Amino acid sequence: MSDTTGEATASKPDERLAYRGVFQRALIRPEIGAAIGAVAVWIFFWAVSAKFGQASGAQSILDQASAPLGIMAVAVALLMIGGEFDLSSGAATGALGILTILLVRDVAGDAAGAGFSLWVALPLSLLAALGLGWWNGFLVNRTSLPSFIVTLGSFFVLKGAKLGFSKLIVDQIQVGKLDDLAIYAEANNASDKGYGLLDKVFAGEWVRNDHIWDSRDWVYSIGVLAGLTLIVLAIYEYHFRRRDTMNPTGLAGVVVGLALGLVGVWQLHGTDGSGGNTLGALLIGAGMLIGFLGWGMWRYAPRLASDSSAGDADGFMTPLIVGFVALVAAMAVGSWFDAQNGEDLSDAFDLGGSTNLIIAVVVALIAMLWSARSSSAIAVGSAIGGAISAAVANALGEARARVISSGIVALLFMMAFLNLSTEQGARAIIFIALAAVGFVSLITAASRGRRRDDRTGSALLLVTSLALVVMAFFIQSESASAKFRAQAFSVMLAIAAVMAIWAVATMLFDVRRFSDVKADAFARNLMLGAAVLILVGMVARLGWVTEAEAAEGGSIVKYSVRILWFIGFTAVVSWVLARTRFGSWTFAVGGNKDAARQVGVPAARTKTQLFMVVSAAAWLVGVLLAFRLNTIQASTGDGEEFEYIIAAVVGGTALTGGYGSTIGAGIGAVIMAMAVQGIPSARWNSDWRFVFVGAILLLAVVANNYIRTKAESAR
Amino acid sequence: MSDTPLLELEGISKFYGNIIALQGVTTEVRAGQVTCVLGDNGAGKSTFIKILAGVHEHSEGTFKLEGEAVNFKNPREALNAGIAAVYQDLAMVPLMSVWRNFFLGSEPTKGIWPLEWIDKTKAKRIAKEEMAKMGIDIRDTEQPVGTLSGGERQSVAIARAVYFGAKVLILDEPTSALGVKQSGVVLRYIVEAAKRGLGVIFITHNPNHAYPVGDRFLILNRGQSMGNFAKGEITQTELTSLMAGGAELEALQHEIDAAQNA
Repeated sequence: MSDTTGEATASKPDERLAYRGVFQRALIRPEIGAAIGAVAVWIFFWAVSAKFGQASGAQSILDQASAPLGIMAVAVALLMIGGEFDLSSGAATGALGILTILLVRDVAGDAAGAGFSLWVALPLSLLAALGLGWWNGFLVNRTSLPSFIVTLGSFFVLKGAKLGFSKLIVDQIQVGKLDDLAIYAEANNASDKGYGLLDKVFAGEWVRNDHIWDSRDWVYSIGVLAGLTLIVLAIYEYHFRRRDTMNPTGLAGVVVGLALGLVGVWQLHGTDGSGGNTLGALLIGAGMLIGFLGWGMWRYAPRLASDSSAGDADGFMTPLIVGFVALVAAMAVGSWFDAQNGEDLSDAFDLGGSTNLIIAVVVALIAMLWSARSSSAIAVGSAIGGAISAAVANALGEARARVISSGIVALLFMMAFLNLSTEQGARAIIFIALAAVGFVSLITAASRGRRRDDRTGSALLLVTSLALVVMAFFIQSESASAKFRAQAFSVMLAIAAVMAIWAVATMLFDVRRFSDVKADAFARNLMLGAAVLILVGMVARLGWVTEAEAAEGGSIVKYSVRILWFIGFTAVVSWVLARTRFGSWTFAVGGNKDAARQVGVPAARTKTQLFMVVSAAAWLVGVLLAFRLNTIQASTGDGEEFEYIIAAVVGGTALTGGYGSTIGAGIGAVIMAMAVQGIPSARWNSDWRFVFVGAILLLAVVANNYIRTKAESAR
Repeated sequence: MSDTPLLELEGISKFYGNIIALQGVTTEVRAGQVTCVLGDNGAGKSTFIKILAGVHEHSEGTFKLEGEAVNFKNPREALNAGIAAVYQDLAMVPLMSVWRNFFLGSEPTKGIWPLEWIDKTKAKRIAKEEMAKMGIDIRDTEQPVGTLSGGERQSVAIARAVYFGAKVLILDEPTSALGVKQSGVVLRYIVEAAKRGLGVIFITHNPNHAYPVGDRFLILNRGQSMGNFAKGEITQTELTSLMAGGAELEALQHEIDAAQNA
């Protein structure tokens, strides 16, 4: 066969398949929005409450996130990717917990039970759970009705059955108690039917205060710092083009940088004085500079002569100026307002709480109208929200302005809503808003500058990092709170350093514009290594106390084993989804069921199995609840199914099926847990929790949608 | 090449109750050749494919696969016998990546049940290679199919059918939704598939697409066969006029001429 046309086309790259850079590829992942959101929500609550950032805070967030919410959210996300809903999943958790307890109860007369050993009862209730899932799937497949309706039916049946059977069998609206097994066993010197062992499996605890480890902080700082370093290196590996032969001179830089960094960390650990801190910070900064650039020299090709790809060089001046003005204004606000004044400002104007709300709504409306029009000077003299969003709208153009001004509106709204009208509250909120606007504008300026040519982009990025340094020092000197003066300050400096070195690196090394399987694999391994290191560091920090802390006393922190169940379940389900045929088929039946069936995917069977996964998860949660609470109410779980769905959607799963992430659902559960824990610990009225949850849901859907279309259109 | 055609159809008819959807259709498909089925809307093309792909059974006539009479009860049987249909709607999941779509339903696995996982490296490599054989360079097989152009999607579907051992490939209007350039690309894939020894049935209503690639032409009109020609027996103009129902066009021409002369 003499075929020239085929070969010719094969060697010619398709011009429509442009190379996607590292940031674009990251954005296209469904869980990225949730990950960023989780960090943002955590920082928000860290700033306003005392509990976040401490081991007890982490414990209560993880505990709240794990079960029932997290495990169920992960299972429900899997089902939603397969294109179905299960509204009975909430009620099923309680029902299966009650069933388990009823199977082991051993009481004669009115309050009866089957009296099985736990080793029999658990498999039996799991069988019942799988039967329930099978039945849901069977009905959905057989009737071809929306699963919303079918499982709504199952929900009411379960809800009724829980109450009915509880009253019928134990004549109460709750069923208990599981730990009677242990009490009975001890009193009668009989077998505890597996309770002792299984209680450890399902409700064991790790008491942090009992575990002393003096080099904990070393493991923590080295682990986290090394992990973050690996992330930066992975981004380099994704972003830059490899040289043909490595340059060993660079390797020397890496070694020197590493050594300087380690000495810096050692110096920081050994000192309390400000001079020592400065020295340590300088050492670490120098280490980063030499190390990262050395790494680059070692591995990546130097940049060719200026590739001034003069694209659409729209002005970067406006956002640059807006950014600077906003930052200066932020600092002005920060120094003029009194950080210690906890007096309610609205008292001075004799305004009540409801007036606050009205003002916020008016401000919000003006701001929204303004950003929608973004034309003349209507908003001159309007409240600060309007003015800020107007300035931003003019500087950045329509699309981005709407996102940002909605963010500001939301912030102001929340401020009024949560009665943050004291001078110190107003100071904090306005400062954060202005600073955020400032940095967003500066980064916009930098990315526009890069579109003009690389040198301008790098210069603007350097300017941004300098501004970050200035802001860090401002916060250090002006902030009323120690954690801002210490932690926020050092984190900001570190970010500034990474940014500045990045700006230099993009000037020195050549950007990769094609896919390189080896480099991608190496970068992925770096990322994995980073995840492991950070995990080890965090576990050390959260799981152990130092001798000094133990001597101090402090509140007792107990981690429950259900956190491990949550993490393990998420890991297993995510692996199944990404790596197995069942996972592939799940995406397929949710994305295009008919197409899947045409190529031989057993669509009905896959859907039934998905329903069974959800009910098996409900069984796990029911058992975890039974061991934790010993007594389960008949109403346990009712109505919670919507929270599972919200967590899944916040985590990037599409309501239409065929798209999503189970890891994202786990992160979504963590976000919701942070809201639950954060609102009371910030001393706000927790009655408003669901307002917050609803706002997060809307924001997440809009943001996920925006990111997805953005990432796909920019291909 | 053996003398027995891959597919041999003689006097195939299909009745839905008293409606005659297809009557007395005769044609053949040989390995390495392209048989074009042409016809306007409602000519019976869809019924014809559905019989070949095992969606419907034929009511009359003989249907021989490699010399043996067959009668498929469902699409799976036809697929197992080596007849793969690529439909207009493509049977692709737009949000899934190219390699996952390529292997959907028949993923290569590693490990032993229940610990069985997809051999991702192998799947990606094969998908890339098979696409390259069809003359298309998919650099990133992780790309969702939804982001590919119509022609590229067709090529994924065709490459998939070829890889999974199809002997006969049925393409249902693969060029109808495409622009001129894209259609050219797909026509090249059709020739490519035939060169690799498959018998291709190319269903279209566009004689300009059919004539350059076809070795044999079957023309359908209102359920009747208007003829079954080898390439040498017919010109493109004749093909066009036959397909549109030549007499009707001629009458129209006369009407227009008369109107202009008046």
